[in-house]
Amino acid sequence: MDRRKFIKNSALASSLYFVPNFVRGFENITSQSLGFKRLVIVQLSGGNDGLNSIIPFNNDIYFRERPTLAIKKDDVIRLNDELGLHQSLQPLKELYDNGNLTIINNVGYPNPNRSHFRATDIWHTASNSNQHLQSGWIGRYLDNYAKHPYNAIELDESLSLAMKGKHVNAIATTNPRMHYRVSRDPYFNSVLNHYDDKHLSEHNLGYLYKSMISAKSSAKYIFETSKTFTSKHEYPNSGFAKQLKTTAQFINSGLDTKVYYTSLRGFDTHANQSNTQKRLLEVYANSIKAFVEDLKQQNTFKETLILTFSEFGRRVKQNAANGTDHGAANNVFIIGENLKRKGLYNNLASLSNLDANGDLKYEIDFRAIYATILNKWLMVDSDRILRRSFNQLNFI
Amino acid sequence: MDNKHIQHLHWRAGFGITPKQLQQYAKKSRKQIVDELFKESKTTTPLLVDTTEIEDYYPELFARNPLKRREFNKKSLEKLKAFNYAWIERLSNPYELLREKMTLFWTNHFVCKDNHIMHVQQFNNTLRAYALGDFRDFVKTISKEAVMIKYLNSKQNKKRKPNENFARELMELFTLGMDNYSEEDIKESARAFTGYNHNFNGEFVLKERQHDYEFKSFFGKRGRYDGDDIIDIILEQKQCAKFISEKIYRYFVNDKVNSKHIQEMVDVFYPNYNIEALMRFVFMSDWFYDEQNIGTKIKSPIDLLIGIQNTVPFTFENEKDVIKIQKILGQALLNPPNVAGWEGGQSWIDSNTIMVRLKLASILLSSSYISNKKKGDFNDAFKQKYYKQNKTKQPFKTQPDWNSFDKEFSDTSFKGLKTNLLSGVINSGTNEFLEDLSKLSKKEFCVQLMSLPEYQMC
Repeated sequence: MDRRKFIKNSALASSLYFVPNFVRGFENITSQSLGFKRLVIVQLSGGNDGLNSIIPFNNDIYFRERPTLAIKKDDVIRLNDELGLHQSLQPLKELYDNGNLTIINNVGYPNPNRSHFRATDIWHTASNSNQHLQSGWIGRYLDNYAKHPYNAIELDESLSLAMKGKHVNAIATTNPRMHYRVSRDPYFNSVLNHYDDKHLSEHNLGYLYKSMISAKSSAKYIFETSKTFTSKHEYPNSGFAKQLKTTAQFINSGLDTKVYYTSLRGFDTHANQSNTQKRLLEVYANSIKAFVEDLKQQNTFKETLILTFSEFGRRVKQNAANGTDHGAANNVFIIGENLKRKGLYNNLASLSNLDANGDLKYEIDFRAIYATILNKWLMVDSDRILRRSFNQLNFI
Repeated sequence: MDNKHIQHLHWRAGFGITPKQLQQYAKKSRKQIVDELFKESKTTTPLLVDTTEIEDYYPELFARNPLKRREFNKKSLEKLKAFNYAWIERLSNPYELLREKMTLFWTNHFVCKDNHIMHVQQFNNTLRAYALGDFRDFVKTISKEAVMIKYLNSKQNKKRKPNENFARELMELFTLGMDNYSEEDIKESARAFTGYNHNFNGEFVLKERQHDYEFKSFFGKRGRYDGDDIIDIILEQKQCAKFISEKIYRYFVNDKVNSKHIQEMVDVFYPNYNIEALMRFVFMSDWFYDEQNIGTKIKSPIDLLIGIQNTVPFTFENEKDVIKIQKILGQALLNPPNVAGWEGGQSWIDSNTIMVRLKLASILLSSSYISNKKKGDFNDAFKQKYYKQNKTKQPFKTQPDWNSFDKEFSDTSFKGLKTNLLSGVINSGTNEFLEDLSKLSKKEFCVQLMSLPEYQMC
């Protein structure tokens, strides 16, 4: 090691905050401080029709308002005397029977927004409907509790607002090998071996160098850790299944990531809903099935909680194009091993007492679910992250 | 005017400058050069895509046949992509450089998102038309734009059931900034914007039966105000001139606001709100050319992309990649994160974007290859060949036009190339490293320079 490098490395050692991995190596300290539990978030983008997912098969209003769209009574997979699953969700029935699924009905927030853009923002930032926040709820979790960007990973090429904090952003990756290869470009190594770190304090340019170092160490950590495990489990052939497969690989290799973010698109079913939704729910349920089995085989399912949401539900009354328009309250699925309230968390809201738009009224604020997960699963102070306190639910 | 200063002006008012363009300005005074910049942008060339295939749709058709709406929406989304491509193309070859840069600024001020191509196109050209105009007329026009009426729920704002969304953002984000108005001001002004609506073609319609014609109390005044009156009263507040000046300062001058400079800007901007006069003042100010303002801003993804394009023109073989790259870099035009727009500055940079940004020039121009040759080191020819052969594996397929680069930079030395591409102070260690690099190919050196953190700055 030449003198210059020696000086650099020792200088790096003093700036712990910016180059954590160079110094701390892989001591795994965060696993102890942040715990082993993982949260996997699944967004069904476009607004999944919750009423045709969890179906009130004994409700006359349901059949009256959806003459061509209602799921036939005989096709419903019954959960109890009132509610049943869409036939595509058969794999969820197994989870339900094993006590690994909680369905929370009527989730929403006051003055619901029916624009995809805004409603998604609201769910991502955990804001009120008239409030605009620039950081996401997981982003603020990172800001307050994480030590590395890779403590949260989105399985996509770019980050959702949910994963962006004020100071720390999560990692977006679909292919850790490629990330690693880019970060190892010999030219970048040369630049980093030569730069003079007295400039690191320089406002913007210093920030760029620091980000470069941190990105390099994240890419190395994710690649080298995750390559230690290869899943042999079979997954269906879909983009969504691939996201979950990569997530399972990350989890099973012991990557120090607390939150994973995945999404499945296409639920905006304004026209000819039946086939589209059938196909999408099948992709969702079959992928989840493979994912859960994979985790169970590796004994990591007990440390994993899966939260599935959609930015809004759809109108009770179907439209003239055999589809449904944007609605409000919707159901949320929680999948995990040690659930406190298994099965149906609450009853479906009344179909006769709808809001002025003809949409389901919300009963449970989605942020109460976030708060519960933050406090009881990720073991952090939810008030700090949500900037307000919400009632705790007792599903975990 | 110094080359360095001309270059600075052109990075902030545009997307950089080539040595040949720079030569044209040699020996001109600051005033002459700034005048030329404004003269070039006197006209407005609207940005239009061919929309003939969707002009046959109308609301009655949708009512009769809902499938037609779906068809329309699908076509509209395709046209929006085309509009994005056309916009990038426009930025790369602008008719009115400053106007285009200002349009980008206003896009991130009056933030909107919509799926209706005709409405989006109209809105975008409103931004372009008013970019250097009268801010008062600008705000009033914006309040009546179809996309804004939809995006901030003016459509749902009715006499019997007011919706405060637009009134709140009008003050918080468009004119005054947070904490410069009361909740009561929001409530009252929301009533003045009741009944705002638009027709299918995107023209403003006031639904008189939904409009509240009663008295409103606003900023200590009382009257039967409509939306335009409210905007006039807001602009009476000097705070509005300050708010806009600060935003312009952060975008065009420095992330860190200098209150003395802002005061000078407010004195120019208030009470006439002439945007051109304000921008002329900024570009003519001595402080605009202070060392601390040169090369100290982090380029936005669009600045970065168009800047590379200005030095070495390139095209994507697959048009869809034009949007994909914007998305990966974190700034997809027409698709802002929310009503507050992109935060800018350091928030462009995270562990994901920094590596893509550093790698970007090589991905676009040299099949991802960045030479790491030292002086007298010839042995990476093999590697370079490997990269070239692996072109099919590249994340993006592009066609760089190096002939154009050769033409523009033929008289430029390696040192001149460095000065042209890196505006600010270079890290001293990095500078030494640059000295040691083998400088046999100007193209290679160009990619090397563009792959430095310093190139991320303007």
